[in-house]
Amino acid sequence: MDIKPTVLIIEDEDAICNFISAILTSNQYQVVKAKTGKEGLSLFTSHVPDIVLLDLGLPDIDGTEILRQIREWSKTPVIVVSARGHEREKVSALDLGADDYIVKPFGTSELLARIRTAMRHSLQSAGTNAAGEEKVTIGELEIDYNKRTVSRAGERIHLTPIEYKILVLLSQNAGKVLTHDFIIREVWGVYTDESHTLRVNMANIRRKIEANPGAPKYILTEMGVGYRMVEEPVEK
Amino acid sequence: MEAFDLRPDPDAILEELETDQEQRQGRLKIFFGYAAGVGKTYAMLENAQERYKSGMDVLVGYIEPHTRPETMQKLHGLPVLAPKTISYRGIELKEFDLDEALRRRPELILVDELAHTNAPGARNKKRYQDIEELLGAGIDVYTTVNVQHMESLNDIIENITKIQVQETVPDSVFDRAETIELVDIEPDELLRRFESGKIYRPERAETAMRNFFTRKNLRLLREIALRCTTDKISFENQNERSLSDKMANTKLLVCIGASPSSAKCIRWTARAAEAFHASWVALYVEDIESEQMTAEQQKTIRANMDLAEKLGAEVVNLTGHDIAVTVAEYAKLSGITNIVVGKSRNKKTLKNLFDIDFEDHLIALLPSIEVHIIPGGAVKRAYKRPRQKVKTENFRLSWADAIKSVLILAAATLLCFGIHRLDVMNQNIIMVYIFSVLLISRVTEGYVYGIAASVISVLTFNFFFTEPYFTFNAIQTAYPLTFIIMLLVALITSTLTVRIKAEARLAVKREHRTEVLYEINKKLLATRGLDRIVALTNDSLVKLFGRSVVFFTVDPEHGEDGTVLQTADDIDATVLNTSDEKAVAHWVFLNQKRAGAGTDTLMGAAAFYMPVISQGKVLAVWGISCSKGTLDHSTRLFLRMIASQVAMALERQHLSDEQRNVMVASEKEKMRSTLLRAISHDLRTPLAGILGASSAIRENGSMLDESTRDSLVANIQEESQWLIRMVENLLSVTRISENASNLVKSPEAAEEVVGEAVSRIKQRFPQREILVRVPEEFLEVPMDGTLIVQVLINLLENAIKFSPNDSAVEIHLEKEEKSAKFEVLDRGRGISGEDFPYLFASDTPGKSRSADSSRGMGIGLSICKTIIQAHQGTLEAENREGGGAVFRFTLPLKGSE
Repeated sequence: MDIKPTVLIIEDEDAICNFISAILTSNQYQVVKAKTGKEGLSLFTSHVPDIVLLDLGLPDIDGTEILRQIREWSKTPVIVVSARGHEREKVSALDLGADDYIVKPFGTSELLARIRTAMRHSLQSAGTNAAGEEKVTIGELEIDYNKRTVSRAGERIHLTPIEYKILVLLSQNAGKVLTHDFIIREVWGVYTDESHTLRVNMANIRRKIEANPGAPKYILTEMGVGYRMVEEPVEK
Repeated sequence: MEAFDLRPDPDAILEELETDQEQRQGRLKIFFGYAAGVGKTYAMLENAQERYKSGMDVLVGYIEPHTRPETMQKLHGLPVLAPKTISYRGIELKEFDLDEALRRRPELILVDELAHTNAPGARNKKRYQDIEELLGAGIDVYTTVNVQHMESLNDIIENITKIQVQETVPDSVFDRAETIELVDIEPDELLRRFESGKIYRPERAETAMRNFFTRKNLRLLREIALRCTTDKISFENQNERSLSDKMANTKLLVCIGASPSSAKCIRWTARAAEAFHASWVALYVEDIESEQMTAEQQKTIRANMDLAEKLGAEVVNLTGHDIAVTVAEYAKLSGITNIVVGKSRNKKTLKNLFDIDFEDHLIALLPSIEVHIIPGGAVKRAYKRPRQKVKTENFRLSWADAIKSVLILAAATLLCFGIHRLDVMNQNIIMVYIFSVLLISRVTEGYVYGIAASVISVLTFNFFFTEPYFTFNAIQTAYPLTFIIMLLVALITSTLTVRIKAEARLAVKREHRTEVLYEINKKLLATRGLDRIVALTNDSLVKLFGRSVVFFTVDPEHGEDGTVLQTADDIDATVLNTSDEKAVAHWVFLNQKRAGAGTDTLMGAAAFYMPVISQGKVLAVWGISCSKGTLDHSTRLFLRMIASQVAMALERQHLSDEQRNVMVASEKEKMRSTLLRAISHDLRTPLAGILGASSAIRENGSMLDESTRDSLVANIQEESQWLIRMVENLLSVTRISENASNLVKSPEAAEEVVGEAVSRIKQRFPQREILVRVPEEFLEVPMDGTLIVQVLINLLENAIKFSPNDSAVEIHLEKEEKSAKFEVLDRGRGISGEDFPYLFASDTPGKSRSADSSRGMGIGLSICKTIIQAHQGTLEAENREGGGAVFRFTLPLKGSE
């Protein structure tokens, strides 16, 4: 790539800001740093970054408010940086249109992986090849959208229509966290409390596609937030 | 952290301040005069003007509209509260608007005419009750009153002026006043004012002058007013006397009865008690006759008791056959020094010759106590009529009794024929008849059959068994004597049996009450929990009185409903939770007095409300529906007895709640402080490592070779990771220690929780093998997912740390009958016996842990224990067969709690 992608970091903690920018610069990203929400918003309009890393706990404006303002006119991927235990905050950020979240403290590889995924997704949705995909392969798992079949290591797996729908939704957003509410809305259509049904369906899917549902390889649980399908299976 | 928590909550302080303010009582100033027209209102307004000019928030609440023009001028400039118009039977009455006054909350309010009686429909019956409410709300009050309205002086004034004053004010209000300002002018001057028509309109002045405003009357009234003020001042001067002093000195007792003259005794005693600075008791003794009292008499008694209560007496109700004995007994027990009794001059009757006077009896029983006798008025007649009614009660006739009597007499006669045939002595026949009379008196109600039987016995004896037989002629001189003896026997036995029966009835009634009280008390003792106490009380009240009840444990001001219980035949109990009824309950909470139907306050309410008070605090208020009519005095008394039991129960509940809170708090505090102690030690080591390593790199960077630098950086990373884990653990502790009982639990798939924990532990120990086993069955467990993940991570981390690197760590999930079982197993060295007792304690006593080997372990496990306990689960550890340890915890499944 000739042009380095630009990352806007909106984060008030110097130490974290420094460390993130150090990693990103050494990994061929261009970094713009903002310490307050106001500064972040103005830098966002002037630099038009390719991706935003947004800390939710800012001194001046609430992080979700910044997210809302960005989402009013831009589809630039936003990754929310938050602390563990603030599940509700994360869910609301995701529902407001954040692409992903990362929990403090995080490692270098995790951060880079998240940024890559988010950028790929934004390219996909903006680009051409989003609709035309026929099948997706993750590790040994293969989902054929045309034939509506799922197989693992070449072996057909029988899924119920709802289970298939969930799996397709997750696989089309592989690498991204989907909140419980989002999945329920997409699958059942209505906005009712189907979280129990979702959990039961998820348990069934795992029993069918995972070797060990207690240590899933394909669909990971994000406690209190939702589910994420991996892009590459975690190898033991 | 601790210093933070100990800092008082500013909101709480504010709230306290606010409630404190509410608690502050307003000050009462009374402008006191001896007759209308002395210038009380004028003085009051003048005073208020001064206050107003000095910047006080003054409000004129109510001034009599017929006030003299000079006085009205004084009103100029003061803010005036518009009177409330109440229409009563088509007449528009202007009344003081209490609610508006309470809403505006001025610093000082002026309310004229303390003795005024409010129009029906107003909240309170009397204006002084309005004023008490204002004072209760912390508002200062100025008011006016004339001496003839004083309750305790009522009868004296009546004697002087021959006019009975209807509108009276209890002395307690007068006593409550902080200042009494006597407004005084010469009676001559007053009369001059009067003649010039300044006080009443001329046509009324004429009649007033003839009846009331005589020079003599005014002088006397003035004297009383002056003396009254002096008393108040001297009382204040001696106010340093403590209450115990008061008790030790004198204690008065007044005997009250159904006679209206009792009121006079009560007033006298109140005055005397005031003069002696003594406490006093009003005692009413219920005896057999009080059962048959007319409604009129019951009303008088109730009025007398209310009066005594109003004047500050402690009202006591006792039951006993002999009033004098009962009174004496009570007086001895409660240290009474003076007894006040009313006495009317009795006519000399035959009965009186044999009866000992009540006073004499009392003096005989209590030689060391002073007895004051207050002569009663000529109201004896009202007292006598019901007596006769009592008599007719004892002459009740019934067929059953008549048949019994006839049968017994017939049997006796037959027996006598037998005896007569045997030709034994006549005396035996007489004996048989006396026995039969005795028997009849015993088995029948009242005197009548006994007496009739004795007469008939004498006649039959005369007829059948005296010569000449079958005539009524008694020849032998001894026979008339026999007749008299038989008659006497019949009379005495009948009287005795009647009395015994009545006493038995009373005893049964008393017994029943005591039993009910005992029963309630016993149940209350065994009851724990506010809800259950309320339910039990409601249940008992409904059963006892057959009326719907409502029980408020908190002031319903903010809309909380009381607990209601309804009886089948009473009004719908939900009525008792309407806003109108709640307003009454709220009033009772604020004023600590009874209100509602059958009282002087808010009598329009559907129920009678009374507070349950303990140590000057209203613990609860209950209401008893009065749709079946108002409650009588004995019911109220009984209610009060129950209230004291309930108060005790509530108090106890309160205390135990408090104790539990304290215990929970101290438990939390203990946990926190042990944690803090452990952490501060544990945190220092990694921090020192990080600091050392980083400064080594910065300061000697160039001198270090590549591998040393790498190892230093690795150390920093490792130590910081450890710190993060520690902080995460601490966060979970704060999460539960905030409120352990209110843990937010939501259903989670157990396998997902396990999966999350495993995936996170794998990020840290990618090289370790972790075997996960979850059941085929989907398992949903209510829990705080984040916390349980934390537990699993801690256990897994432990397992990994204490087992060789090449061994696998296992995690098993299983469903048990009513719980989900999680197990973490390792193949390490297991747990040594001496460690077992301290495994889950955050502190290992007597053993300084080496910072590296077991760092954080104790804290980790103790946190696990806390989390699992907060979930009502169990956590245990044991050694595994074949080496290694098992940590096992269970969480209750939904619906198994």
